[in-house]
Amino acid sequence: MSYTKISDKIERVDARTKARGEAMYVCDMTFPDMLYAYMVRSTCPRGKILSIDVPNLPKGYKFITASDIPQKGKNELWMISKDWRAFAEDYVLYVGETIGLLVGPDRTVLKYLKDRIHIEYEPEEPAVTIDDGIASKGGPMFPEKGNNVFCSLFCEKGRPMEEVFAEADEIFEETLETGYQEHVHLETNGAIVTMEDGKFVFYASAQCPFYIRKSVAGLLGLSADDIIVRQCTTGGAFGGKEHFPDVICGPLLVAENVIRKPIKLIFDREEDTQFSVKRHPSKCVYKTALKDGKIIGMDAKVYYNVGAYLSSSFVVLQRGIFHANGVYNIPSTHLVGEGIGTNTFPTCAFRGFGAPQTIFAVETHMDHIAHHLGVDPLEFKKEYIIKQGEETVTNGHIIEEVKLPEMLDVVTKEADYWRKAKEYTRGCGRGIGISLYLLGGAFTGNGEQAIIKAHARLVRTGDKVRIEVGSTEMGQGFQTSLRKIAANTLQLPIENIEYNNPDTSKVVDSGPTAASRSTMIVGKLVERAAEEMKSRWDEGDITTEVEYEHPEGYPWDQNTFRGDAYLGWGWGVACVEVEVDKLTNEVKTVGIWTSHDIGHPIDELIVHGQVNGGIIQSLGYASMEKLENKGGFFRQKRMSDYVIPTSMDFPRQYYHLQENPYPWGPQGAKGMGELVFNGADAAYVDAVERALGITFNSIPIPPEDIEEALKKNVQ
Amino acid sequence: MEEMMCYIPENLEEALAIMDERDAMPLAGGSDLMVSGANGTGVNPTFSRPVVIISNLPELKGIKVREDGWTEIGALSTSREIAECELVHPLVRKAASQMGAVALRNSATIGGNIANASPKGDTPQPLILLDAEVVLKSVRGERRMKVDDFIIAAKKTKIERGEIISSVLIPPSTLTHCYFRKIGMRRANAISKLTISIGAEVRDGKVVDFRASSGAAGPKVIRSHEAEAILIGKTLSELPLYKEEFLDAWNNAISPRAMPEYRRGATRRMLSFFIDEISSGREEGIIE
Amino acid sequence: MFSEVKFTLNGKKIIYQGDPLRRLLDVIREDLGFTGTKEGCSEGECGACSVIKDGRLVTSCIIPIGACNGSDILTIEGIRDTEKGECIISSFAEGGAVQCGFCIPGMVLAAYYLLENNPNPTEEEIRMGISGNICRCTGYDLIVDSIALAAKKGEELWKK
Repeated sequence: MSYTKISDKIERVDARTKARGEAMYVCDMTFPDMLYAYMVRSTCPRGKILSIDVPNLPKGYKFITASDIPQKGKNELWMISKDWRAFAEDYVLYVGETIGLLVGPDRTVLKYLKDRIHIEYEPEEPAVTIDDGIASKGGPMFPEKGNNVFCSLFCEKGRPMEEVFAEADEIFEETLETGYQEHVHLETNGAIVTMEDGKFVFYASAQCPFYIRKSVAGLLGLSADDIIVRQCTTGGAFGGKEHFPDVICGPLLVAENVIRKPIKLIFDREEDTQFSVKRHPSKCVYKTALKDGKIIGMDAKVYYNVGAYLSSSFVVLQRGIFHANGVYNIPSTHLVGEGIGTNTFPTCAFRGFGAPQTIFAVETHMDHIAHHLGVDPLEFKKEYIIKQGEETVTNGHIIEEVKLPEMLDVVTKEADYWRKAKEYTRGCGRGIGISLYLLGGAFTGNGEQAIIKAHARLVRTGDKVRIEVGSTEMGQGFQTSLRKIAANTLQLPIENIEYNNPDTSKVVDSGPTAASRSTMIVGKLVERAAEEMKSRWDEGDITTEVEYEHPEGYPWDQNTFRGDAYLGWGWGVACVEVEVDKLTNEVKTVGIWTSHDIGHPIDELIVHGQVNGGIIQSLGYASMEKLENKGGFFRQKRMSDYVIPTSMDFPRQYYHLQENPYPWGPQGAKGMGELVFNGADAAYVDAVERALGITFNSIPIPPEDIEEALKKNVQ
Repeated sequence: MEEMMCYIPENLEEALAIMDERDAMPLAGGSDLMVSGANGTGVNPTFSRPVVIISNLPELKGIKVREDGWTEIGALSTSREIAECELVHPLVRKAASQMGAVALRNSATIGGNIANASPKGDTPQPLILLDAEVVLKSVRGERRMKVDDFIIAAKKTKIERGEIISSVLIPPSTLTHCYFRKIGMRRANAISKLTISIGAEVRDGKVVDFRASSGAAGPKVIRSHEAEAILIGKTLSELPLYKEEFLDAWNNAISPRAMPEYRRGATRRMLSFFIDEISSGREEGIIE
Repeated sequence: MFSEVKFTLNGKKIIYQGDPLRRLLDVIREDLGFTGTKEGCSEGECGACSVIKDGRLVTSCIIPIGACNGSDILTIEGIRDTEKGECIISSFAEGGAVQCGFCIPGMVLAAYYLLENNPNPTEEEIRMGISGNICRCTGYDLIVDSIALAAKKGEELWKK
């Protein structure tokens, strides 16, 4: 029998149906008697709701609000905490907060009615920026604490910081900032709710169908099992569809409970741009103690703008702190993180999940120290690269061999880095930059064991095997990778493996499709279930099910944030070369070279596509993706003013994978989807800084910001 | 009964009659109007005035050079048609070729681009540099005026009730050196942050004509005849002496609030570059 | 507010009766049920709704149906089973061009239009040809390669 080998490059199982336009996204689905819903939202960043004036509604039209939540239900969405309300009542905390759903059969009528709903507010002064939040502008969001601090943590390593600072020749201090980023998954958010056999059923564009169930059930006083979620083909997510579908499905569930007909809610692009979660803006204050030209300690204070509700922000912040020293082993560190509440749309998961902000900060900070000391940044950084067995910022240890030196060799050779770094003098208009980065795979610490407890199930029927897990395909190729892992283990052709978009009533909960954990954790579970099935093949049509097992000997304390935060890290090197137009300050990227250690690739073509896409998202983040919030309102509202890269903006990438099989991953694979986002931004900024001979402390840096920085430099 | 809000006339005469009678507005490619009137998925766009869809009117199509040497561009000519047509002045072709991306260039029309009067519009800027004119038709007849006069401010033109832009006329150009640059928010498929056209006619070492226009930088395309006059009549060797005076005059022509620092700086540098190029005896043609 | 618009969609004659300002995209997706054409931005910016109208690539979200009288319109459903359509689709599948897939039907149409007009494009010409089709997943390299592959595989096809 011919079976699928992991090394075989195969055609993605979903490629043809998608390219032929046959794949059904939620926006493509309709049901008999289906109604449409429009979200009515707050237009006030902070204030009391004085009145909601709704015009007389024709027959068949309903305006659903918090008052439609039944007595046994609670107006809360259960993400990690339960603070996010399905509907705002009495007061609003941000522009775009859901106040009601207008539901009915005809969208033209709905639009007409929606324009005639008037809500009056007694506005209060909003806090918008991190600095506003730190100053509790407009009064503290948490009066009992007297501040806006949603969450905080710290990690320490080595000697006390006062001692280290007292010993230093100098302290190099700077503040580094990153802006908002919008996901711009090409498919906007959307869901349909309906009833089937007395149960509530959702069709949703979502990463985590089991999250939705858990999050919304309490609105009706139900248990998660009373709700079925069916994932539709999902047109990109990047974290934007991790918790945010709850915010759509919650109000829909309340409406369905009243109306009992299929209801469809699809955001248009302007809604999706202005009224969905974003990447956290950050402000990082780094203080580095230098003695005899060497780093002896690093102190960082990291602030993330959480917006008005916590959603996943504490976990995002933790990841930010755990990555705040990048790939470096600094002898003594003190890292503090605070999640700051503001009256802005809540920020949530976005590829990298808090790591990109601090990695950008530490990489750029290291570049600036090197420049200050007058040495090549890469030469300087190389000295501090962490090695196997060395202590991490959470007092754990790096378990795998760190292959960054080998990867650097490949990238510097391909990019001709050393020659160019010397030849392109600072300010000559051309520059080459390089960055090193990493990403801890899967949930932090023992989260997989303590919180997620992922399961995977395989069901055999004759020579066919069905995978039953809740993990989702959202474009990253998991439908193909997971089938490949099963087919390879079972030594079956891939056509014999079935794996459908999950239906929560039919599959086991394998945990969220997030944190670069799917291949590494769920893939391993499927591999184990397949191994068991293979060993029992002569038993006939059997079902095998396995649960996650944590390797022994890697402790983690979630209260003190000490121990082995991650059991496997992905590693990356990105090198970017730019030319800056002296007339217009437009930056042209002329070369991109990367190397990544992701263990062993399950499918090289899929990995190649992920690397390319992640790098371009990161370069967009650094260069053109500017999203500003003024007074609580996003200034960029659509794809023509929040621009993301086109095919013309960046050149072809040189791409390299560093083989380094991971012992606990399926076929040696570890997490990779987020890793590839985490470093090209810093390499880009490094290159532009060298080309212009100036420094930047924030991203993005469109030509206007370059102009300003050049001007400041002259003064 | 609901009033008729949209018409699809078969010829220009019919269109003009409706335009006049209903105080309607014409819709050509749709790329601007369909966005401004949009109501979301499944809900038809609406407008404050009746709409006449003129997309298929044969009288408004085609590009030709007239006997008097002027190039006549039918108002319905798309950016792609203009970009590909060798009869059209290279500055206008360049602007048209950098508008949006492939699909937009297949729909957006020059008439629409002018009538929309967006300061970020791609084609008005070089047209104003070239002293191009619009031909306006209505049941009352026809009139011509310079594009520079036609566009008053952002979204404001001198179009009158019942009038339609039927064509654009570009006078024959004697410019020997030209420069065009569009700075968008990204390298393709972008709305302009800043556009600039510069042209000069150099004869026997003397600047016979000098023009510059910049778009997306204020309420309307900027041209300063006062500033241009500083350089006209000067010899190439004199140019460096007058450069700063010209640049300052140009800078002053920009309304103080219209142009953030970046656009001001980039405009100044590009103008300076062009002057340096021609004063160093650059050969004729488009300067890249 | 009814008007009659006659046009051809994927070779089939259609008589539309209704508001001429209705977006071509809504007519295609909702009235006629061809959901392969996607809506990404609603302002002609992202290319997900690309169709071919009278031989030209256009974004159907900014075209009123009233501008389609007498037009010949092709959507992904109209080309996917043709030799040329299959050539592009199989190249996309082979070359790894497809991730979330939402931009892809529009991208296939853009590639089709490009190759129809330029059977042997350079990398730069391919990048230009799809610059109005935004993809957030792939970073474009594999799409560009897949279109080059389609040009190569369908060499004779595109010269027809």
